[in-house]
Amino acid sequence: MSSFRPLDNGDLDITFTSQEAHVLINLTEQLLELLADGDGQSHSVDPLLHLVGISNSESPPEDPVLRRLLPNAYEDEQAAGEFRRYTEHGLREKKKAHALLIYEALLPQDEDWNGDIPLDKGSIQVTIAMADSLAWLGGLNDLRLALAVRLGFGSEKGQHPADQAAGVDTPNADVHKKYELMLESDPMKAVYAVYSWIGWLQQSLLEALEVK
Amino acid sequence: MALGTITESETELNLRADRPWVCVVWDDPVNLMTYVTHVFMVLFGYSKERATELMLKVHNEGKAVVTSGTREEMERDVQRLHEYGLWATVQRDNEL
Repeated sequence: MSSFRPLDNGDLDITFTSQEAHVLINLTEQLLELLADGDGQSHSVDPLLHLVGISNSESPPEDPVLRRLLPNAYEDEQAAGEFRRYTEHGLREKKKAHALLIYEALLPQDEDWNGDIPLDKGSIQVTIAMADSLAWLGGLNDLRLALAVRLGFGSEKGQHPADQAAGVDTPNADVHKKYELMLESDPMKAVYAVYSWIGWLQQSLLEALEVK
Repeated sequence: MALGTITESETELNLRADRPWVCVVWDDPVNLMTYVTHVFMVLFGYSKERATELMLKVHNEGKAVVTSGTREEMERDVQRLHEYGLWATVQRDNEL
């Protein structure tokens, strides 16, 4: 596991093993598909409204990961719906741009590589422009949020005092303990390992930015 | 330093009457504390001290007002925080 290094010109540099790159390529690809899914498609679609970035959807997405990535901007449902109608498409586009930046930086240049076979190169070196560092941080953060929801501790429930009062489980250290103690053979253990690694990666990028 | 602090809080008081909307950031079990601080610094131009103070307030008290202004300004701030995965809502100042 290598970490981000600051370069003299202000850019940042990291070398991924082909396995690490493969994990990030697959995850960002899934995130891109998820963010495109149901964009402005709910109910009756008005193509003209969609063209100018207004969707007909006033209700939060059904997928819990999307609900976390595209949260309500108001506690009041009606105000949240109205705001969502004008902004959700733009928010999806921003998040897609962040994920795409990571995806494209890691994608092998070989034209015959199709994503299903492991990368044959031993490692992939990536240089990130200083100006792109926040987009990388945001993209890595979205991956962490998505994995956390799938692991059962990052969903919106339990965040607001109203949910806590209603007795909804609040995520806590016990959940992390659960994954630490999980058998190696459990597939969720591997998901948790990836979640932890991306957090480590994000922290490494923050530390490299701090150095400058 | 002390003088600057007084001037700043006076300015805040003067603006308060015209600034009835706030942007609230809520605590989240996933986002790293260092990341939240970094986002506050980059998006709002806060010093590391100010950003850290707000991040700790979110962490310890469950939420914190991070900016205040017109409704349009707050909606823009919330949208930018959502772009970077922070949990934020717009509300009237007196709702807190």
